[in-house]
Amino acid sequence: MTATATKADPVATVEAFFEAYRRHDTLSMVDLCTDNADFSYVPFEIWTKQRVIRGDGKVATLGRPMWEGLINSFPDLSNEVHSITASEDGKVAAVVSIGGCQEKAWGPIAPKGMKYWEPHAFVFDVNDGGKIESLTAYWDSASIYRQLGHMEVD
Amino acid sequence: MSDAAADFWDAIRAGDMDGAMELVSDDATIDLLPANVNGGKEEARGFFAATVTAFPDLLLTIKNHFIGTDGTAVTEMKMEGTQAADYLGVVNQEKHIDLDQVWMLGMSDGRITSIRGFWDQNILYRRLAVKRLDAVSIV
Repeated sequence: MTATATKADPVATVEAFFEAYRRHDTLSMVDLCTDNADFSYVPFEIWTKQRVIRGDGKVATLGRPMWEGLINSFPDLSNEVHSITASEDGKVAAVVSIGGCQEKAWGPIAPKGMKYWEPHAFVFDVNDGGKIESLTAYWDSASIYRQLGHMEVD
Repeated sequence: MSDAAADFWDAIRAGDMDGAMELVSDDATIDLLPANVNGGKEEARGFFAATVTAFPDLLLTIKNHFIGTDGTAVTEMKMEGTQAADYLGVVNQEKHIDLDQVWMLGMSDGRITSIRGFWDQNILYRRLAVKRLDAVSIV
């Protein structure tokens, strides 16, 4: 008799990820990912005089600091999962609204006590063990900037 | 499972608007928050026709494509092109764009029943040399 490995449910992993995000438990968010998980926040793009800094790296070294920074600026940050679709091989897409009230500076945006609430699209790769191997996120910064009273296209 | 979404993107890439729209059911919905486009098949045709008109050299590079068990096709792509006409209220300055997007197309019985797209309009505006969100048409 051979043992059959039980394949983890990728949707459950993604649901746990956003539940941890609602609790501001970034350590648990990282723990749901593999040690070397890839991270890409596509809209994150900072133009300096000599180079462009993008939101591409690893969950542990870039993702967690970005989540912590957002939570620091928006202490009531929360999210609502609208839909999750998953393939049979662990690819998952989720539509999630994220937002909160700004209390501290966030990038170039000074706090004005304004709130944002914006739909995001996330794409995950989840392995058979239920760990996230990569995550990519898309959202409309222009909409968030408008909601926060920031009208410059930085 | 048939992949009407892949056929749809092939048709858009080829500039075949009629071919693309034949794959979309008559009661389909479209929801493109960054472009403030929301409606049905007519609005979908209007958006994609405006896109291929504004960027005659449109290049769509598929980076990831999969179909969920609920029939939703998820496509990550890079859109590139050179502006040749006003687009979404932005005056044509012949700027080149590169814009990463993700699209989720609902499918049923081989037809597309819903179209949702996500991208960063701020990046699009930056590429098109827009300076302010409250004055998109002023350059």
